[in-house]
Amino acid sequence: MQIPRRHFISYMALAAMRLPLYGQEPILPPKPASVRFAVIGDMGTGELPQYEIAEKMNTSREAFHFDFVITVGDNIYGGQTPDDYRKKFELPYKGLLDAGVPFYGSLGNHDSPTERFYKPFNMNGQQYYTYKKGNVQFFVLDSNYMKPEQLSWLGKELHNSAADWKICYFHHPLYSSGSFHGASTELRLSLEPLFVKYGVQVVFAGHEHLYERTKPQNGITYFTEGAAGELRKGDLKKTDVTAAGYDQDRSFMLIEILGDELIFQTISRTGKTVDSGAIERSAKISRAVIPLRFPTTVGRCEQPALV
Amino acid sequence: MRLLYWLSILTIAASAFAGELQSKEFKPFADGVRKYVELQKYLEGSVSAQKSTNASEQIADRQQQLTGLLANARRGAHQGEIFTDEVAEQFHKIIRKAFKEPGGRAIRKTIEERDPVKHIVLKVNEVYPDNQPRTTMSPTLLNRLPVLPQELAYRIIGRALVLQDTKTNLIVDFIPNAIP
Repeated sequence: MQIPRRHFISYMALAAMRLPLYGQEPILPPKPASVRFAVIGDMGTGELPQYEIAEKMNTSREAFHFDFVITVGDNIYGGQTPDDYRKKFELPYKGLLDAGVPFYGSLGNHDSPTERFYKPFNMNGQQYYTYKKGNVQFFVLDSNYMKPEQLSWLGKELHNSAADWKICYFHHPLYSSGSFHGASTELRLSLEPLFVKYGVQVVFAGHEHLYERTKPQNGITYFTEGAAGELRKGDLKKTDVTAAGYDQDRSFMLIEILGDELIFQTISRTGKTVDSGAIERSAKISRAVIPLRFPTTVGRCEQPALV
Repeated sequence: MRLLYWLSILTIAASAFAGELQSKEFKPFADGVRKYVELQKYLEGSVSAQKSTNASEQIADRQQQLTGLLANARRGAHQGEIFTDEVAEQFHKIIRKAFKEPGGRAIRKTIEERDPVKHIVLKVNEVYPDNQPRTTMSPTLLNRLPVLPQELAYRIIGRALVLQDTKTNLIVDFIPNAIP
């Protein structure tokens, strides 16, 4: 994608300003009044890597004080007993839950629809819902069951939204270079026209057990973050839509939105930053994704393996 | 201009007729669905109301209680009770048509779940296991099949179209080999 020269200069300046922050973890500088959150998906295994990612989220929060967590589904794998809820959600995220960090869940294909009644997922009994944080409105969908009623609801809510940023999240990715499931093309046909029509800027999904960021598709950046518990190592087969990706270890994302800028950082289980950049919100200019590239090793920060 | 007027009148009349035909053909299905939902609502009266809760035990207990009550009340329910032969034929027609259209491949891709699913022998009045992944329902099919109340959902398991209780995961009825 061609970035206009004046934008390129300002992005380079922005990157240069942030450069000293790299090598620390996390790199996102928290700004007052910004919307800060973490993204996890396909995490509810109850196994050690999930706990390790949760711990990494805890330590990241000391430096970058994110206020809430969004989940892109598969919150609880393989059973819905009280014991499953404990081992696969309450214990791994105890630190965050004790600190009062709310989670806003969406349902994956491994989740029981009854999870929507579980208060810590903040779904209020709804399979799809919306909420606002500052200048950002989130639209949470149930991509397992995209009935016409849900599409009408989404269209209406997007139409009525006056938020600067409109962000959608759900389980199945509309674009994916993962070789196991791949893109949900039929869902894309239903959802993407609404996203484009109503100015959705960013979409988060999971399902594929890896991390991927797409080049803007019709002006929308699609993230897949389905590796906060599960992992399908080597599953990413880069395609034309891939801007960056990582499939060598578990990961989670940190996001900060302030004004017209969204900054993202994806961190692996070992604390490595595997992707980062900024997305500019603009109604007229194609949204530019500016990867912030850094030397192979700066402290604990290394160049992403697949970028 | 006059020709256009009459053409539009004829089109409206034809679509109204088609709608009537369709609703007539699906009436036994609509009646079966309505009866099931009435039963579910009646039985829900004897279990605690489902509200958002921090106690996952409460969610599981309620689900189990309601499942038991429904399964007991529908003892002897069998496949084809709601999806009668005539109704099933209408569903077959809709599904076959959707698969023959250009979007047919996309539908198949949606419903083919690559996560390993244990082989499940479908039985009416049994619970679809919580520990098995849910197959994604095709938006195209959802747009064409009769609209269900929120208490029920369509689900594709293997080649069967399943009518499932969304509160208990009970299999209410199914059409075997519905998917071509």
